Amino acid sequence: MKGLLPLFLGILGTFAFSWTGLIFIPNLQIGHLDPQMEEDGTDAYPAPKSGMAERGRHIYAANGCDYCHSQQVRADYAGSDLDRKWGERRSAPRDYIFEHPVLLGKMRMGPDLANVGHRPPVTDQNAPAPSATAAPTTGAPGAGTSPTPPPAAAPATAAASQTTSAPPAAAQNPTPSASPTAPNETVTAINGVPIPYTEAWHHRHLYNPRSITLDSDMPAFRFLYEKRQVSGQVSADALNFESSSPDAPPAGWEIVPTYDAKCLVAYLMSLDQSHALKEVKTAAAPASSPAPGKAVK
Amino acid sequence: MNENPSPPKRVRQGMDYGETQEVQDTHAAIQREKLEPRAGLEPLSLWLIALYGLAVFFGGAYLGRYSGDFSGDGLDPLGGAQRSKKTGAAGAAATQVAELSPADRGKKIFSANCATCHQMTGLGVAGQYPPLAGSEIVNGGTRRPAMIVLKGLTGPLTVKGQHFGSAVMQPWEKTLNDQKIADVLTFVRQEWGNTGGPVSPEQISALRKELAGRADSWTEPDILAVPETAELPGGAAAGAAPNEQSKPAAPTPAPKT
Amino acid sequence: MESMTTTGTATSRPPEAQRSSEQVTQTEIENVERALIDASTRVPVLMFYTSAIVWLLLGTLLAGFASFKLHSPDMFSGISFLTFGRVRAAHMNMMVYGWASMAGMGTAIWLMARLCRTTLRHPLLLVTGAAFWNFGVLLGVGGILAGDSTGYEWFEFPAYAGVVIFVAYLLVMSWAVLMFRFRRGDTIYITQWYLLAAFLWFPWMYGATQVMLFVVPVQGVMQAVVSWWYANNLMFLWLGSIGLGTVYYMIPKVIGRPVYSYNLATIGFWTYALFASWTGMQRLIDGPFPAWMITASIAATILCIIPVATVGLNHHMTMRGYFPLMRYSPTLRFTVFGAISYTAFSIVGVIISLRSMARIVQFTQVSVAYSHLGLYAFFTMVMFGSMYYIVPRLVGCEWRYASLIKLHFWSSAYGVGLMVLMLLVGGLVQGLSMNDATLSFTESTQSVLPYLRGRSLSGVLLTASHFIFAFHFGLMLLGLGRTASVPTFLNPVEPEDVHP
Repeated sequence: MKGLLPLFLGILGTFAFSWTGLIFIPNLQIGHLDPQMEEDGTDAYPAPKSGMAERGRHIYAANGCDYCHSQQVRADYAGSDLDRKWGERRSAPRDYIFEHPVLLGKMRMGPDLANVGHRPPVTDQNAPAPSATAAPTTGAPGAGTSPTPPPAAAPATAAASQTTSAPPAAAQNPTPSASPTAPNETVTAINGVPIPYTEAWHHRHLYNPRSITLDSDMPAFRFLYEKRQVSGQVSADALNFESSSPDAPPAGWEIVPTYDAKCLVAYLMSLDQSHALKEVKTAAAPASSPAPGKAVK
Repeated sequence: MNENPSPPKRVRQGMDYGETQEVQDTHAAIQREKLEPRAGLEPLSLWLIALYGLAVFFGGAYLGRYSGDFSGDGLDPLGGAQRSKKTGAAGAAATQVAELSPADRGKKIFSANCATCHQMTGLGVAGQYPPLAGSEIVNGGTRRPAMIVLKGLTGPLTVKGQHFGSAVMQPWEKTLNDQKIADVLTFVRQEWGNTGGPVSPEQISALRKELAGRADSWTEPDILAVPETAELPGGAAAGAAPNEQSKPAAPTPAPKT
Repeated sequence: MESMTTTGTATSRPPEAQRSSEQVTQTEIENVERALIDASTRVPVLMFYTSAIVWLLLGTLLAGFASFKLHSPDMFSGISFLTFGRVRAAHMNMMVYGWASMAGMGTAIWLMARLCRTTLRHPLLLVTGAAFWNFGVLLGVGGILAGDSTGYEWFEFPAYAGVVIFVAYLLVMSWAVLMFRFRRGDTIYITQWYLLAAFLWFPWMYGATQVMLFVVPVQGVMQAVVSWWYANNLMFLWLGSIGLGTVYYMIPKVIGRPVYSYNLATIGFWTYALFASWTGMQRLIDGPFPAWMITASIAATILCIIPVATVGLNHHMTMRGYFPLMRYSPTLRFTVFGAISYTAFSIVGVIISLRSMARIVQFTQVSVAYSHLGLYAFFTMVMFGSMYYIVPRLVGCEWRYASLIKLHFWSSAYGVGLMVLMLLVGGLVQGLSMNDATLSFTESTQSVLPYLRGRSLSGVLLTASHFIFAFHFGLMLLGLGRTASVPTFLNPVEPEDVHP
């Protein structure tokens, strides 16, 4: 090959071609999406995360959670994601428009987390709502979702007391079925293990995954928890262990989540793609009406 | 040795990976050789060309089959985005929207997005969320409330003499479009005995452009720095329907509380 | 040592090369010139190599740790910087930026100087570049371990480390441009195409990705598109180009025979540039992306068969009749192993990206196997080969022990072979049980655990191989190599093989 110029132009050209095809054109197509909402401006989805959940995303990324957990649900023709109830529909570009960094994941040594914040059973959906005494860390919970119970109306329960500082989670949690004033006297734990996918459960799982799933291969994240001597009363957010548990701290000591742990759990609780999108079919009810946003059960 | 265009060929010493030959020289040789067809190359290159053809054919066929119509919505590789329904639905809904007055539309937006904190009564929550009813910010010029809705607000704030310590309001510029922000502001400024004038989407659009560079939410000093009666540029006539709002009108006199 | 080659008789001289009786003097001049070039590259290349090998050892230790964490997850769970997610990211970045890139740049510098037939000007520029690069990697790895990872795979270095690396790179590249400016001779050899392309591609993709992820971040899933586009180009256009360029130099150089076909080389290069840069999106298959984009990458992967077959054929025909030399030459053995692995890497790439197959192996260990096939079995082995060739020329003595080289080769080859096999089979099993919704999810992770233990075993082999190599390299650095007029052969030379 003689001459530097053709070589140089060729190298530049092939690279520009690839950039145009794989970055520029897709960015035109899916790089400037707006939240979907009803024509009258209600029911916007998705909404930006704020406060603790946003910080929790960075903790999720920093500790490499995405090396084992994906956050994307594949369609019914690929994989068994929908059969495994990891979501009600496949993920779409619009689900991620406020994510930075976006953590789609490339590996599933652990289950998919795209909807982990949606999994709490209905009876427990008030758990993440801020209690009356909690200092709010963000404005406008319930942003873009159906009306949530007014914060002041949610009674503090054992579960809620551990989760008081996570209004962003509530923001992502559509709870139309929960009556705003329903007293929340539900069970918070079965056999000493918190109800799955509540905040208490997440903390317990992060602290010792194998106390919940015997053959889990998830590393324990004990460094996100602090073991300290009880001064006066046991802290409201201390982890609840039954006395027989090997993780239970000695008497006079308690294990409390650090701020990072709370943020991480707030982030996990905010992961929810259950809101229907116009561009994808929901497995249960195909989106065909002009207002599928309301179709979320 | 530059003056010698064809440096001499050196000995090949079998295993010796010392300096028998410069590859460059070797390569000069191959350049000369390629002009004359080498025996044994031809059948192989035919096979190679056949392989090229096969790869191109297979790759092209694959792209054609699983292209999802080359659309940005075509997540399914076999195509099948449902777009016809979407446009129809949007058209029908658009006419429906036009029938409602700005304040009515604003009420819906308010109940969906704002009432959680500020309550449907507009009174807020004591100590946590400031009231809108009778608020000096809401009833003043249009600029202050529009700024807050677009960019959000953080930190301590005093409204109607009450102190709100840690209130945080999220920015709405990404969630709500100009029309919706204008509608909800119009609603808030005329509900609960408030006496503010309407806000038009053009005004919000102008402010959005003006503030495009700002990433952070406001704090109380930012808001106080703006005169209480400051109006948005390019105000429209009160109660104008969306299609009439394009004509520029003189700024409405600032209603005083 | 340059003088040891001045004896011998011409056996394959083309007719035009029949020249005057000045031939011997001509050769001697060339040899002196080469000696000068080698001397000028000594400090920077050895600095790049030494740093690369230090990163290799550190990265290997982290890899071993991460591998054991996968089947013993409770180890050190109280220490934040030893959690699996951070160690894995640190390992990967250390290997890609610390080991592979630095070794590749070291080899590229030497090859460029040789092929441009000009001594290295301003070696201090390169030494500074290497120092900055080391500092950047250190900063980045430290940042990852301290919890500052960005969360984009292959791009975990926090932005501040990225800036340092970019500055370091500009220093190295300004040198490369300088070298090209002062080159002699008017032909540009195949290796130079690849190296020049790699040196130009890297800053574009690195800079563009930094901008699109951090300065003006693109929206939502487009970040995943950008980061995988980058990761793929880093593998193919940066490391892959350097690796292929090195193979194009080492094989003909060692066996002393011209490259089989210039035309094949041209086709191979340009189709590689065209198609390899379009792959990458197949790793996002079935995700929330427009299907055409994914399919375009799959089609490009299929089309990559063209450059792979062309380059493979070219190397094969060059080597034909000379394969027995692999018994003796360490360089040839490592390089040919790498070249064959490159073909295997590409074929595996095609198979796992076809939609019907990707459905099973997506989100499994297969992607880890694929990365190791490319980064280790191909690139790292080629780099080992080039180091075995270049280092004696820089330090002025021969490798001390043939037995250590053999041990290095076999433990590397078996180690990476075992690892890739274990992860491919394990990933397939994992994917099949994951897609069977009647099985619980933990069964899919349990099913892959035996294979992960096998992978840990292969890690032990690789660790041994790296420490052996580092020890041997250290001897060379200290000037403890053999002083001899013949290179270190792997096996005693039998005359009929030496002169095929």
